Amino acid sequence: MKQPPRHLKKRIILSAFILMFLSLNACKVTLLPGYDANISEQIVNTAKAVDKFYLSMQDNTSAENGGRAFSKFSEQYVNIEVELNALLSKNKIRPLNQNSTRICEITLELWTKYKEEHKKDNTLSDGLVKLNQKTFSDLFFAMQVAEKGKQIIGNPPQ
Amino acid sequence: MNINIDDVLAEMLSTMKGAVGENWSEVKTVAQQFLQRRKERLELLAQLRISGDLSQEKFESRLLDEKLIAEAELNAVGVISKALAQKAASAGLDILKKAVGTAILGAISK
Repeated sequence: MKQPPRHLKKRIILSAFILMFLSLNACKVTLLPGYDANISEQIVNTAKAVDKFYLSMQDNTSAENGGRAFSKFSEQYVNIEVELNALLSKNKIRPLNQNSTRICEITLELWTKYKEEHKKDNTLSDGLVKLNQKTFSDLFFAMQVAEKGKQIIGNPPQ
Repeated sequence: MNINIDDVLAEMLSTMKGAVGENWSEVKTVAQQFLQRRKERLELLAQLRISGDLSQEKFESRLLDEKLIAEAELNAVGVISKALAQKAASAGLDILKKAVGTAILGAISK
């Protein structure tokens, strides 16, 4: 069988390498969306709002004589729920973002649950204020860890 | 309902280790922070049950919430694990790209 000329063989090999190089350049492993500084900032701001909500409830009001009646806090509950809904929507629309979305869903679920408990009991003891404050602080910490974790893709772990 | 905080923490630690596999050393610090926070919450829960702030029904309901919080924490650990895997895969591809690039240059210069 007649062999192709040497220069043609070289061109074929070179073309194959170039093709492989171009394909590899287009190749990308993506398991997560990139880090979003705006979402990270919104997590911090919402966490601060929730912290302030419970701290001021603890410092400025008392469970005695209806001091913690639900009506006195309903507007703040709504304001924070709006922020949590916005965070959930922002996370939901990002592709490959199931983990962060789930953390937001859990936070919103517990926020609504504790709001309903407050509404039903029409008061909140100091102990429960403290427990709720701690619970949300821990959930926002998880949310922040998840968002900051996406920075690892571009940077080495700290 | 009795709760052994140390048992719960040990179980959570083992679940986290299982979830991240070989990336454990990288997520260890975060996992330890989650465990510390969990310990403080469980201690407060127990304290509130003893003081009567929480009825038995509410106490049990809060223990169920702990499962949701643990799920949130595992999702956060999951992000770190995925980010490490993506970084490792990209680094592997970069090495391959570099090798093919070198081979092209070698073939051209011959």
